[in-house]
Amino acid sequence: MNNSLLKIKLKYILFIGIILLFSLAFTFFKPTPLYLEIPKGWPKPHYDFSKNPLTEEGFQLGRQLFYDPILSRDNTISCASCHLQATGFTHVDHDLSHGIDGKIGTRNSMTLMNLAWSKSFMWDGGVNHLDVQPLNPITSPLEMDETLENVVAKLQKSDTYPNLFLAAFGDSKITGQRILKALSQFELHLITSNSKYDKVMRKEAAFTIQEQNGYALFKSNCASCHNEPLFTSEKFEKNGLPIDTTLNDIGRQKITENPRDYLLFKVPTLRNIQFTSPYMHDGRFKKLMEVVKHYNSLGNDKNLPKQLQKPMRLSDNERVDLVAFLYTLTDTEFLFDKRFSYPKE
Amino acid sequence: MMMNNKLYFSALCILIFSMGFTQEKKDSLLVRLNLNFRDKPLELNKKYISESKDTLQIDVFRFYISNIKLQFSDESTYSEENSYHLIDIENPNSLRIPIQKNSEKVIKKVVFSIGVDSLTSVSGAMSGDLDPTKGMYWAWQSGFINMKIEGKSSSCKTRKNAFQFHIGGYLKPNYAIRTIELKPINSNLEINVDIAQFFKNIQLSEINSIMIPGTKAMEIADETVKMFTFKNNNFINE
Repeated sequence: MNNSLLKIKLKYILFIGIILLFSLAFTFFKPTPLYLEIPKGWPKPHYDFSKNPLTEEGFQLGRQLFYDPILSRDNTISCASCHLQATGFTHVDHDLSHGIDGKIGTRNSMTLMNLAWSKSFMWDGGVNHLDVQPLNPITSPLEMDETLENVVAKLQKSDTYPNLFLAAFGDSKITGQRILKALSQFELHLITSNSKYDKVMRKEAAFTIQEQNGYALFKSNCASCHNEPLFTSEKFEKNGLPIDTTLNDIGRQKITENPRDYLLFKVPTLRNIQFTSPYMHDGRFKKLMEVVKHYNSLGNDKNLPKQLQKPMRLSDNERVDLVAFLYTLTDTEFLFDKRFSYPKE
Repeated sequence: MMMNNKLYFSALCILIFSMGFTQEKKDSLLVRLNLNFRDKPLELNKKYISESKDTLQIDVFRFYISNIKLQFSDESTYSEENSYHLIDIENPNSLRIPIQKNSEKVIKKVVFSIGVDSLTSVSGAMSGDLDPTKGMYWAWQSGFINMKIEGKSSSCKTRKNAFQFHIGGYLKPNYAIRTIELKPINSNLEINVDIAQFFKNIQLSEINSIMIPGTKAMEIADETVKMFTFKNNNFINE
């Protein structure tokens, strides 16, 4: 009698125990929430964080994916192949970026900085949301030449990824949405706001006379498109460059099919511009001074946007001062921040 | 013994609880889709002749049905939540859409869209049927492909005689979503999707590749609407 009572008791305890374990499984899933610090005086970010709450685990998963060539067809190309941290997450030394099998694209890879404030992506603005931007390089036959479906299959087979997805999302299911949201988590953290320029604005440092002079020239000649503090208006503009007939890239018109958008390209940020060469959508200028000289040569042309119609007429010294100011946009803390670098085991 | 009874009681409770859920599911309405060529079920890789005299075969037929709304005879309505369904000829389960609405009322009208609305098109990476792994999301120009029809026809002077219609676009004036209103003939919510109607006004030698949003996609989207009708059981013998 005593024995059977004990048995029933054991059964009961086991039953309760299993239920407890189940409920614990849910309470144990607590990723560490992260909050982006919005630099003082900056506008509200455009990205809707409520649909992709930032967590340490999500960020780390995104970082792994960003640096992993598993995203490409033959496992040779990662996001970082064309977006290197030390150069503001762009492809240094290449006018046009190269991808799988050494194939060459038609544009200079863009920088990845302060993306939470971006409303559109790519030089032509064809992409409307940060989450879906990686679909481009992943599926482009010139870049990674892979399908998202197959990336899911490859990640499912890996030893490490199911656990990383478990930590980030509460279960180890791998979906296209989760891959993209994790990549966004990493990219959203790429905030650069600690350049000398920022420190001067916060009254923690002072410009040299040359930089100060350059800043004044910048405000009167460049800032209408490269608005502070992000140094981009997020708009599409004509920059006065003739079309490269070997590429025939018509820019924004390709997306809108509107002839008025012929040769319009997205205004890029100027942050960390000291290291993001070559410049312009097709990387045609190697040196920053060449870019300044190009804009200095414009004017009195009805085809140009009104911001570029008045000739700049900068003297040699003034051009040097302007470049000196642009160098104050360099944020070495960002360029060498270990949290954004290749994830070591 | 008391303990044992308690154990059985809790097990019984769980059983009843879960039965409640299955019961609810069982009572839901079911919209069924028949993918046809004229009055016969559409088969992949089978040769058909369109009314414009094109010999053709279909390899891919996929589209979104979204924002399903039922209008009842008493003018009340029911809108399905998170209503996005990817219909794929290769996935028979997708041809049955259960609607979690338990109603004895007569359905006067069924309203739904072909494609994905603009708000969802700008909301980033989605899950389920909208997950970008489903091959219904564009890369270089964001947005969903509302309908994908691919196949071959000897009329197409293209590589491998292929034709491809990827119909989509969420930006005005090229917003390619289409809304359909159908009146059920009886209580049977069975919709015929006759792809022959799509090819009726298309000459494949001239139009065989639509891959981007634009005016052409808008025109072709109008043709997709013509495929949808309620099945009239009076005329079809099964």
